[in-house]
Amino acid sequence: YLSVGPRLRLEAALSFLLLLAGAQALVPSHRLAARDLARLRAVLERPFTDVRAAYYSIVGLSSLGVRVADEKAACKFIKSHVDSSSVESLFYAAQSIQALSGCEVTISNETRELLLAAVSEDSSVTQIFHAVGALSGFGLPLASQEALSALTARLSKEESVLTTIQALETASYLSQQADLSSIVEEIEDLVARLDDLGGVYLQFEEGIETTALFVAAAYKLSDHVGTEPAIKEDQVIQLMNAIFSKKNFETLSEAFSVARAAGSLSQNRFHLPVIVVPDGAAAVSHHQPVLRLQVTNVMSQLLTQVSVKLDQAKSVSSKATVLQHLPFTLSGDFFELNFMSVKPASGYYDFSISVDGDKRFIANKVELKVKVSTEVGITNVDLSTVDKDQSIAPKTTRVAYPAKAKGSFTADSHQNFALSFQLIDVNSGAELIPHQTFVRLHNQKTGQEVVFVAEPDSKNVYKFELDTSERKTEFDSASGTYTLYLIIGDATLENPILWNVADVVVTFPEEDAPSTVQSKNLFVPKPEIQHLFREPEKRPPTVVSNTFTALVLSPLLLLLILWIKIGANISNFSFAPSTIVFHMGHAAMLGLMYVYWTQLNMFQTLKYLAILGGITFLAGNRMLAQKAVKR
Amino acid sequence: AFPTAGVAGAAMAGSVRAVARRFLSEYGGGTAGRLKALDAFLLYVLLTGALQFGYCLGVGTFPFNSFLSGFISAVGSFILGVCLRIQINPQNKGEFQGISPERAFADFLFANTILHLVVINFVG
Repeated sequence: YLSVGPRLRLEAALSFLLLLAGAQALVPSHRLAARDLARLRAVLERPFTDVRAAYYSIVGLSSLGVRVADEKAACKFIKSHVDSSSVESLFYAAQSIQALSGCEVTISNETRELLLAAVSEDSSVTQIFHAVGALSGFGLPLASQEALSALTARLSKEESVLTTIQALETASYLSQQADLSSIVEEIEDLVARLDDLGGVYLQFEEGIETTALFVAAAYKLSDHVGTEPAIKEDQVIQLMNAIFSKKNFETLSEAFSVARAAGSLSQNRFHLPVIVVPDGAAAVSHHQPVLRLQVTNVMSQLLTQVSVKLDQAKSVSSKATVLQHLPFTLSGDFFELNFMSVKPASGYYDFSISVDGDKRFIANKVELKVKVSTEVGITNVDLSTVDKDQSIAPKTTRVAYPAKAKGSFTADSHQNFALSFQLIDVNSGAELIPHQTFVRLHNQKTGQEVVFVAEPDSKNVYKFELDTSERKTEFDSASGTYTLYLIIGDATLENPILWNVADVVVTFPEEDAPSTVQSKNLFVPKPEIQHLFREPEKRPPTVVSNTFTALVLSPLLLLLILWIKIGANISNFSFAPSTIVFHMGHAAMLGLMYVYWTQLNMFQTLKYLAILGGITFLAGNRMLAQKAVKR
Repeated sequence: AFPTAGVAGAAMAGSVRAVARRFLSEYGGGTAGRLKALDAFLLYVLLTGALQFGYCLGVGTFPFNSFLSGFISAVGSFILGVCLRIQINPQNKGEFQGISPERAFADFLFANTILHLVVINFVG
């Protein structure tokens, strides 16, 4: 502590900052592993069906750095299948021929005129792209400034992600003397349109094919003009993750786009993602003390002209820094570091590794979790029977792994069985606390098994005690001879242990013994549940409701009697037509009410009511007017 | 005080009976026949509603919609009948200048039609 100088403190601060930077930067989660590459090549190497398929295959394979199997046959195929009257077909032919070696073709004047005429404001962006690409592929002269103005004019009318990507690629064919900056700015606009998925993936909503084509076009144009593309480091990694997450290629165009993206991300002037791949699982042990890493680009091509350095190795459990600032040594294809030389304790370690060698590297600071395994040894294994009354001294037997104790031990109502042991790291001698320390008792006759956990005390000595009165329920009070096993296991142990230590005769008091040992079978059918249907509402007996119905109708009788008493009569009834119609209509309306109750719905009723009501109203109006006049 | 209370009570009982008899005679003489017929109708509706309510209290509200429908029919008819009675009473002629008895009756029929349309919809 006294000798901590200012220089060391500065180094500590710098490494802390480096660690922070590494922690904040995104790590690639997907790449084109060898298997994926093989699948991609298989799709691209299918026999050609037309010029378009030939273009996808040839240019795709060349992006991966692979030559077509039979170049002469490919050349002949293109020459025979190209359609000289279609700009698109000419584009595919021109680009494929450029990728093949030793394939020559002569262009007629008509074809040249056709292509030059297509480069105008009247063609769509796609047509301009194909025409410019064809002219460039055939090596024909092209007026870059005019093409650029036609392209910009057209692009402002057809604003979409795909046309913008095509414009980017078109600009990469134009001469640098034209001012391509307006097209280069489109890269930034397109990046803003990408969708961020969970902070891990970045892709266009149009899909992965579009995203891959964008990456290829953006880097092609940037390499052509010499300015770094406006894509941040994290965004490049997110794009990588999205594009290379696609492992199955249904169409040739999908495979083509992924191949081009892979090609552009492994060879451009500005951004080169690197991937650090550990050899097998990142684990070291006494038998295998060396951590081996491979550094590749996105296409799983090895990069050996780089320097790999360990910035920091920290223990996950104790957070102590075990190693700092150590370079890896290159041996063949692998970068190696002998981690066991610092004699680390077993467990997990966080390695911060940085890859340097090229200014273009991105994602070159990685975090790797390394496991250090060891072997466990059991020592000081003591088996004893302890008297509950403590009147007799405990009998202790020492056993050495992997022998079995001779004789058997008893545990009954006045004796407990006890087991104690210690676990040490065989290589360092330090005490170990593994995750799994189980004591398993197996009834030889019934096949019952009971498992307990042995707990360490403060001095890291493991103890287990079997008290028959306490453990009745676990054993179901089944007395008999049990075989005792010790199970030791952990992720960082290379030698998990299953050791038959001894036989223990366990006797439970007689009254608790079950008649038969019932095996708890979980897979028998459970008791059936009877569905309880909804109880109907409680109703009064029919007699009661019938009585009340009659009762409710009785006031009607009273009414009639009263009316007769008062002297109400229908002597003034005039048989005028309006009167008759009114009364018939009114009666019909009352009848409609009854029919509504039994059969109709509201809409039908309203319809009939409107008709009947109308008639009744008119007739009633007439009738009442006549009545009023008479009065 | 005890004998006075009895006499007063008898007098009270007697006065109640006298009032009732006087009321009935005035009613019988002073009310038009038409109104008396309407009053009989109102009494009928009242009794019907009361009986429905009593049934519901006694036996239970199931099915509730039917009870409501019937009860509201009774209450609504009663109210419309009372409106009609007020409008055709010759003693109220001053307050209903523009509404002839025929018009009142037509209104009564119309309102009853709408009421019973809703009632039948709800009775279930």
